[in-house]
Amino acid sequence: MDILAIGLLAVAAVGYFVLAGTDLGAGMALFFLGRDARERRLVIAAFAPFFLGNEIWLILTAGLLIGLLNGLEEALFGALYESIAVLLVGWVVRDAGLWLRGRLGAPLWQLFWDGAITAGSWTVTGAWGWAVGTVLLYRLDPPGSLFPLIGVAATWVLFGLHGLAFAVLRLRGAPYERARTVAGPSGERVTFALTSIGMAVIPLVVGARLPLRESVTESASFVAVTTAVLLPVLVAAQAWVWWLFRHRVTAPTYL
Amino acid sequence: MDAETLDLARLQFAITSGAHFLFVALTLGLAVVVAAVQTRATASGSDAHWRMTRFWGQLYVINYGMGIVTGLVMEFQFGLSWSGLTTVAGDVFGAPLAMEALVAFFIESTFLGLWIFGWGRINRWVHLALLWVVALTAYASAYWVIAANGWLQNPVGAERRGDRMVLVDRAALLANPDALIALAHVAGAGLLAGGLFVAGVSAYHLRRRGADEEVFRRSLRTGLIVAAPAALFTVGVGFNQFRVVAGHLPMKYAVSRGDTAERERLQAELAARFGPGDYSPPDWIDIPAALMINLGTVLLVLTAVNLALAYRTRAGAVTRFCRRLLTWSIVLPFVAAVAGWVFREVGRQPWAINQVLLTEDALSPSVSAGSMRLTLIAFTALFAALIALDAWLLARYARRGPEGATLGVPPVPDEEPEPVPQF
Repeated sequence: MDILAIGLLAVAAVGYFVLAGTDLGAGMALFFLGRDARERRLVIAAFAPFFLGNEIWLILTAGLLIGLLNGLEEALFGALYESIAVLLVGWVVRDAGLWLRGRLGAPLWQLFWDGAITAGSWTVTGAWGWAVGTVLLYRLDPPGSLFPLIGVAATWVLFGLHGLAFAVLRLRGAPYERARTVAGPSGERVTFALTSIGMAVIPLVVGARLPLRESVTESASFVAVTTAVLLPVLVAAQAWVWWLFRHRVTAPTYL
Repeated sequence: MDAETLDLARLQFAITSGAHFLFVALTLGLAVVVAAVQTRATASGSDAHWRMTRFWGQLYVINYGMGIVTGLVMEFQFGLSWSGLTTVAGDVFGAPLAMEALVAFFIESTFLGLWIFGWGRINRWVHLALLWVVALTAYASAYWVIAANGWLQNPVGAERRGDRMVLVDRAALLANPDALIALAHVAGAGLLAGGLFVAGVSAYHLRRRGADEEVFRRSLRTGLIVAAPAALFTVGVGFNQFRVVAGHLPMKYAVSRGDTAERERLQAELAARFGPGDYSPPDWIDIPAALMINLGTVLLVLTAVNLALAYRTRAGAVTRFCRRLLTWSIVLPFVAAVAGWVFREVGRQPWAINQVLLTEDALSPSVSAGSMRLTLIAFTALFAALIALDAWLLARYARRGPEGATLGVPPVPDEEPEPVPQF
């Protein structure tokens, strides 16, 4: 049961970093890829159908943490209070930007929310760097030093590359060319596969530093078994989304 | 831990959950209305029904987005501020929260994305089914969240082992009478809020004699057919809820009725069991309770009268006046809902888990007052902005009528079409 619980948590966390990494990374590069409001809207259209389904993996990770390893949840939130708070603020600002940007046609409104999406994406990925750096350096007992901030630069690079590799697969025209200058030296899909592996490594190395087995909840079986049974359904539902929107974007979407 | 951090953490939780619930209440009601309208549109193919679907769907999506954003912060509140809760009861309390993410919100989010972005790209019956799944999972979400909350009110199915609570009877946790009746009350309140929103906006347009009278005549009836029974149901369930809650929270019942003798008796009994301390909620909890009950009664009358008038073809002065009231009343279910939550949550005090864990012992031990104040300010500012933007955008889109809806409008290709599969 311990192995199943930890395995499920790993699947959810890897799912979040690989999938949400695409829209967070592309969001970071919004102003680099799109030089005017129309181009930026196309960049957003590249991940618009996916971002809701992507971020839900983090909600699932947090849910499983509470339901399966609540001892760890408590220690983790205690050790990472500041970075998690920053993460949440960035997340709210970014998502508000995504939902609100297209609701008004005024150029200033759109520019403002484009800025919010970009700033929010940098904040979220930076907060991840801070949190990951803290766990890698000090596990769950951080002395409050600034060393973990080294992680911020590392996650910015990783998320940024992953987002650009994704943008190369999704965009056309000038934004596509811009993404390719950074992320396209080898084959487009190979680059995306490599950055995906890089993203998947982040939660795995963090997990390796945490006392996972000791933290599994006594009555974890109900949640763990339900999750294991339902996970294929959830993955199939998301696979359908990715299949439906597999074409390169040619037009802005609702966002 | 100090009293200041505790107050700040409680305020933060109250603001987060209160702000979140404003959006949720409207989402719960509108989801059903939009799904019902889209069902008629899909079956009939009538253009008026499709305009209705896109118009109300647009308002639903604007509100839904803001609801998600506040919900994100909500889920992390327990870890950030109330780790004592998970230390003592994570085994029990964590399960419904995990299930909420897993069996409800995950599918809800994924399918809502498909519904928004797949408009015109998916078979129309499948597209309709997606929205029904979204609506049903919204209520499933509500069930799991209230199952978690209901357990804090009435901790059944668990027993104390050492200093931790362990789940011994899963069925009791899932069928907690406190949670089931609260779910009915909340679902009714959501339908009332959503139905009244639809009716109030429609009444505005009918009074103005603007374009698309057909859409708003139909919408007015639909909204009232949902809102009037929902008001009756919510009020009825609410009165029965007193009896259920009085069983496990007798002190709350005594304080809200101003029954001093009973209150003193319970205080002595609880002090004998749990040691010295004040075991009663603040005296003012009868204020939000009275506010909620009075608003419920007003809304019941208002929606019933308007339902009776909704089928009149010629609107006289009385009808016009009643419809004006309807538009003004859109905000009332939200006031009632927040008052209801204040009554429910404050009424449980001083317990986080009724007769198991005091709120002051549920607070995260390592968080300082400074950190708590900073996050409180940040979240409060964000939520205030989101509520204001949501209300403003809803009003704007509602006023513009069906012509202004951008949801479900086919996108205009930018350059040469010719999509290339990538995955």
